[in-house]
Parts: sequence; structure tokens; C-alpha cells
Amino acid sequence: MTILSTTCPDRGAWRAWLDREEHAPDLALHLDACAACQRLVDDLRQNAAFANEALHTVSASRPPSAPEIALARERLARRERQPVAAQPVPSSQETTPVFLSRISTPWRVAASGIAAALLVSLAVAFTPEGRTAAAAFLAQFRSQQVAAVEVTPQSQAEIMRTLNTLGNLGTIKSGSTSTTGARPGLLRADTPKQVTLAEAAQQVGFQIQTPDPATLPTGMDRTPRVEVMPAQQFSFTFDKAKAAEYFRSTGRVDVAVPDKFDGATLVVSMPAAVLLQYGGQGNRDALMIGEAGELVVDVQGKVTLDEMRDFLLSLPGLPKDTADQLRLIRNWNQTLPVPIPTDKVNWKAETFKGAQGLLLNDNSGVGSAAIFQSGGHLYGLAGSMKASDLKRVADSLR
Amino acid sequence: MLDMLTLAETPDSMAAPIDRFDALFAHCYAELYGLIYRVLGERMATEDILQDAFLKLSADQLIQQRPDPEVGAWLRRVGLNLAFNRIRGERRARARLERVGRLELRDTDQPTDSPASLLVRLEDQAEVRRALAEVPERQRECLLLRHSGYSYAEIAATLGVAVGSVGVLLARAEQAFRATYRRQIQP
Repeated sequence: MTILSTTCPDRGAWRAWLDREEHAPDLALHLDACAACQRLVDDLRQNAAFANEALHTVSASRPPSAPEIALARERLARRERQPVAAQPVPSSQETTPVFLSRISTPWRVAASGIAAALLVSLAVAFTPEGRTAAAAFLAQFRSQQVAAVEVTPQSQAEIMRTLNTLGNLGTIKSGSTSTTGARPGLLRADTPKQVTLAEAAQQVGFQIQTPDPATLPTGMDRTPRVEVMPAQQFSFTFDKAKAAEYFRSTGRVDVAVPDKFDGATLVVSMPAAVLLQYGGQGNRDALMIGEAGELVVDVQGKVTLDEMRDFLLSLPGLPKDTADQLRLIRNWNQTLPVPIPTDKVNWKAETFKGAQGLLLNDNSGVGSAAIFQSGGHLYGLAGSMKASDLKRVADSLR
Repeated sequence: MLDMLTLAETPDSMAAPIDRFDALFAHCYAELYGLIYRVLGERMATEDILQDAFLKLSADQLIQQRPDPEVGAWLRRVGLNLAFNRIRGERRARARLERVGRLELRDTDQPTDSPASLLVRLEDQAEVRRALAEVPERQRECLLLRHSGYSYAEIAATLGVAVGSVGVLLARAEQAFRATYRRQIQP
């Protein structure tokens, strides 16, 4: 572009010149001699700098990593295959170990999240709001909704280490078996048995909700495999002498257990759950839907909720960030905290069937999960599908 | 047509479009992610849009065979359209732009801050997206593209305008954006 120095260039030319996208030599000469253009260029420069700074604030903090891009490519490949998913797949291509490990990630996350949530609930049952509860000797937590508690790999390890010390502070019982000094891992349910939907409903005592088949991925078998996980009960009774000895032996002489904690008991009642599994064997897509009743936590003994809360949340080794997040949960006695490993999954609050819950997807975008409480039941879904598709499945549960 | 059929039936040549697509995916994914994230501010939503954009590309062999710059421009155009459609689809574009900055903070990929600085940053992001929503669409796309690092030629190819028009489009966009932003914070 040729621009005479006697004619003022338009603002577009000056804006391009600022970006070194306009190389007409006359521009610089013109600018030296033209006060109006100097004002215009100064204005353009300020606007550009302002926009640059502002738009920097909404940029991604980092580009996707090579493994994330590779997994996004895999996810896309799966979507490309979807229209022919109903056709038989050669056995050699069925559900490779790598695939399994990937699609099962969100479910494992969801399952481990729920399991860990039960453990963390022990601590949540003693948040400050409990101070006003009338039940000084018997307090109850009843899950009505879920809330996310973000945990890092380090804090996850610290939480588990801290919870594992519970066995050193008293007696743990799981079901009818006394497991003094046992680890909280005994909360794991017994091996589930495969049953029909009707049998499952009879066993758990409620009508099981199933998704609208139209929302399932193309080619996925509409008939689920059904398993029932029996109800479990877990209790922990403080033993002052045992706890004092443990803290002494670990050099934590600063941790004192008041007398009234002696004999105080937590009782966690895990409801029976039904697990519906779609696909996953002869099909590359997999979807799991879990439904359970409410989780109930009773506290029995001579201590107040506030005292118990202070003690548990101050256990040596419990990450401060985790304890702070638990303290901040409102309606603590109705809220099931779900630990979210932020290094593995993204999450956001979402509404399912009119109830608030959590929508998660793993960082690869290969799978997603949802957890919510509705109508007195806790639901967990996980599948090898987009989060938006999984939400449609969740919303269709009837 | 005969040549195409012959080629399509040759195993070796079957691999060519797949390789081409893989190369395009590897080459374009990260930069497109950066652009679309600026629009949506949500990691999950951004990934979804990219999936949809590349799915369209995978279904269009003719586009794939174009030169890289043209495919890149096509992907940006499709990605931006999908992203803005997504926002418009909720019929509350402005509320949406506020929400991604304020309520869905956990879905962002931003580093962890103290609560106070996090709040300030999210407020800033909400203000920026609110101002962006007020800028005319073509100018807004130009603004996003330029400040995502694209050249004038790339912007022109994406928007389907002459390279010589980019400067004035950008100048107007930046002026409108700044004025809107100031109006917002100093009502």
C-alpha cells in the first residue's frame, strides 16, 4: 500500500502499522509530522494494550499437554466410530486393557470418591453448625445433597493416612465383625451378586430408576447387568487410653483427648446400593449407574458435636485445606462431601432432575461422571461419553 | 470419479486421509483450544466444542485436502461459530458470560489462588467477558483472534475478509471493547 505523507492514513492502516503488518515507509514520516495522527496512534496503542491485558486474563493458564491431546484424539476416534457401533466388533478389538483402564477411570474416580466421601463424612459430621443441634448425645447426619471437596494427590494421601490412624484411637467395627485396630478400608462392600431388576428392587426395598433407552449411546445394549451391594454399617468407638498411648508413641504429646471422648461412638450406616452396567464387555462404550438410599451417620456418647468436630478436624496430618473446605460446607448435616481429585478430573455444579449435583469429566475428555441426590436417593453415573450426554442419561432416569 | 474410487479401494491410499487428519489434529488442537477457551472460559465446554469441530473436519475430506492455512482458518471459523452458538443457545449470552467467570470457577484450568485473589481474578474475567459480549460479533471475533496471536492474514482467512480490512476491524473492536469495559466498571 502506498500512502502519501500529505494524506492522513485511516485508523485501520495505523492499527496494522502498530502490529507491524503495514510496512509502507511513508507512514513513519507522516507520523512525525502530523499531530492528529500522533493522537490517533496513541489512542490506538492504548486501546490495543488495554485489550491485550484484559484478554490475557481470560486465556487458558496452560495449553493442553501432549497426553491430553492424544486422549482427545482417541475420544474423537470413538465418536467417529459411533454410527457403526451396533455392528459386531471383531473380538480382537474388543475392550483392550488400555481402553478399559481409560474408560473405567471416571467410574473408579466416582466410586472411590463416594467411598472416600463416606470416610470423610466422619469428619464432616462434626462441623460448627452442629453446635445448635439439640442432640447433645445423639446427633445424626443424613445425606440429602452432595458437595465437592477438592483434593490434591498429596492431600489424598494425607487424608488416608490420617483416617488410617483411627484404628489407633479406638475400636472399629464393620458389620457384625469386630475389627479392633482395623483400617477404614474395611468399609468396602461385599462382592455384589448379579440379579434381575425385580430381584434387586426387592432386595433394596425401592423401585430402581432406569434411563430412557433413547439417551444411551448408539449400539449400546439397552438391557443392563444388575448387581446389588448389601448395606454396611461401620462404627468407631474412641478409646481414650489407646489414643493417648498412640499420640505419646508418635511424639504428639500436644494432642490431648478429653475424658468425655472415652466411649463416644460414630455409627455410619451405608445403604444397600444397586449398580446397573450397560455395555463395557462386547461394546466399547460403557455406562454404569448406581442408586442407593441415604447415608446416615449417628453420633453417640457424652461429647457435643462441636467438641467432636474440633477434635477430628484437628487430627494431626489432616490437610488444612481439606479441613477448611469441610468446615465451609453449609447444611453440613445433609451434605455428603465428595472428594474430587483435581489432578484427574474437572468438575462443576450441575442440576440433575431438579436436584443439585456434581458433573465431572476426566482430564482426557474420554469419560465423565455425575453424582447427585434426588428424592432421598443417591445416584452415581459414570461412562465413556461426553459430560453433556451423561447428563441427559441422568436427567432421563425414571 | 473413477480415480477416486480406485484410490479409495487401495489399502495404502486409505491410510493417507487418516494420516492427514491426525496431523491436522496434532497441529491445530492446542492453538484452537486456546482460542475457544477465551470465548467459553470452561475447560469441559472447550473440549466439547473442539470435539465437534474436529468431527466436522473428519467428515469433510475435501476440506482436509486443502493447504494447512486454509484448514486452520476453517477450523477457527467452525470453532468460533460453535462456541458462540453454544452461548447464544442458552438465550442468555450475557448471563452466561458472567456465569463462566463467576460461578463455574471450578471448571476453569486456572491455578489455585487464595480465596481473595481468586475472587478478584474471577471478577476480572467476568468483567472482560461481559464487555466482550457487547462488542459486535465480527469485531469480537477479530479481537479474540488477534489477541490469541493470529496474524492479519490468518484473521482475514478466518473471517472471510480482505487482509486490508483487518486493521480497521480490529481498531474498532478494541475501541468498543475498552469503552464498554469502562462503562461497566464506572457506571
